[in-house]
Amino acid sequence: MERRVVITAGSAITPIGHSKDEIIRHLEEGISGVQKMKKDDLLSGYIHSGVFGTVDYPIAYDFKRRYRKTMGPVSYYACQVAKEVLEASGLDTEFITSGRLGVAFGSTHGSPSVQREIYKSFFSGSRASFSSIGAVDYLKSMVHTTAVNITKMFGITGRVFSSSTACTTSSQSIGFGYEMIRFGRQDAMLCGGADEYDTTTVAVFDNLLACSTDYNDTPHLTPRPFDRQRDGLVVGEGAGALLLEEYEFAKKRGADILGEIIGFSCTNNGGDLILPNPDGITATIRQALKDAAISADAVDFVSAHATATKMGDTIEAQATGRVYADGPVVTGLKSYMGHTMGSCGAIETLISLYMMEKGFIAPTLNLDEVDERCAMINHARHLLEADIRIAAIQNFAFGGVNTCLIIKKP
Amino acid sequence: MTRDKIKSEIIRIFSEQFEIDNPGLDDDLRQVHEFDSIDAIELLREIEILLGSELTRAEKKNAMEIRTINQILDYIEGLAQSRAGGETKTRPA
Repeated sequence: MERRVVITAGSAITPIGHSKDEIIRHLEEGISGVQKMKKDDLLSGYIHSGVFGTVDYPIAYDFKRRYRKTMGPVSYYACQVAKEVLEASGLDTEFITSGRLGVAFGSTHGSPSVQREIYKSFFSGSRASFSSIGAVDYLKSMVHTTAVNITKMFGITGRVFSSSTACTTSSQSIGFGYEMIRFGRQDAMLCGGADEYDTTTVAVFDNLLACSTDYNDTPHLTPRPFDRQRDGLVVGEGAGALLLEEYEFAKKRGADILGEIIGFSCTNNGGDLILPNPDGITATIRQALKDAAISADAVDFVSAHATATKMGDTIEAQATGRVYADGPVVTGLKSYMGHTMGSCGAIETLISLYMMEKGFIAPTLNLDEVDERCAMINHARHLLEADIRIAAIQNFAFGGVNTCLIIKKP
Repeated sequence: MTRDKIKSEIIRIFSEQFEIDNPGLDDDLRQVHEFDSIDAIELLREIEILLGSELTRAEKKNAMEIRTINQILDYIEGLAQSRAGGETKTRPA
């Protein structure tokens, strides 16, 4: 059994806004959400990079204590976007709790801030002599905390999948959620990812010399995907969620269809856990096109992973060029908000849907001079009016994980 | 520690930790205030801090049938008495 899968609602918390209008405004006006990194009492003083994709606006959470007690900051993000998606979908409680709806939602490593508190109780403080780990600390911090706090809050009883593959966390969530519906295992899936503010993640990339450091005093000028002066990625925070439904079910209930997922691929490079692999990326893109049963020239827009590392962007541009030549317009959306880690795939998919609906393509921010090693693709250099009929969303992660989603305008 | 002192501490903990204000002393905490198994475990940790000593596994298991504030007070009084009688199991900080 193979069924069509559509996207019927989406929501995101990003460094460039929470509402659809605010996110689009940042894209159209070229406004960055990258800021100077906040000081913390842990690592900010040791990290060379001084920038962060920051969610700096208040979010009006309205969660009752019975939900909050098992939620760390990452679950606040996750449950908020999940709540907004379910509200926007119009699905009733009977369906949500029927077992026909599942959840595919993850984060890079649960809640690092809660994990930090657990370690503090081990290594210092008067409470260390008693039951050091609170009953809820694990529930707040575990890798699948986002997914199961969502199921708890909304009474969702279907399948639960919690990817934790760093930068491909939420693109995998969407892709595997898509396959669960496509092959008849679920009728709907709430998919996405989230990551909270965390300097340990920055430290990891900083130690690998992968973080941007040259623009600490001018945060809005970094990251610079595909630009000659790019100097690395900027870690960010955020969340993104999409509701996927079986097409006939969505049509029958009169759901607002934002787009259709027509293809997905997920591969591994089968080797190095850090270095990007041109053959792996090329194969991933080609598999996605094959899965969608379309040719490369049918794709109008590519949302590149484009973290702004020297090697990553070069390899991605070359692999993308191998498949598409200079056909579809390519944008690196992380240029606006940094790398929101486990949420980037969902956020970039949602932004691609926004641009599909509104008929524009946002340019890659800070792309002042294209690196000649990245020049073989059709970069978006200015805000473009464009009818995006089919878009490809590319994401790649540590561990050699590659994903490509293909979405189609309804 | 007197029962009144214990009561005021427990009421404070319920307010600060569990956002349950002024619970009736004989309210069924689960039914009336949605106080669940996770809360119970958290409460035991607070009781350890209050008493300044670690609870044994048997003492913790004994707490699992507790349903009301009055029963919590009885439980803590019992623990305090057993410790005053030389059965404390205090770890060095």
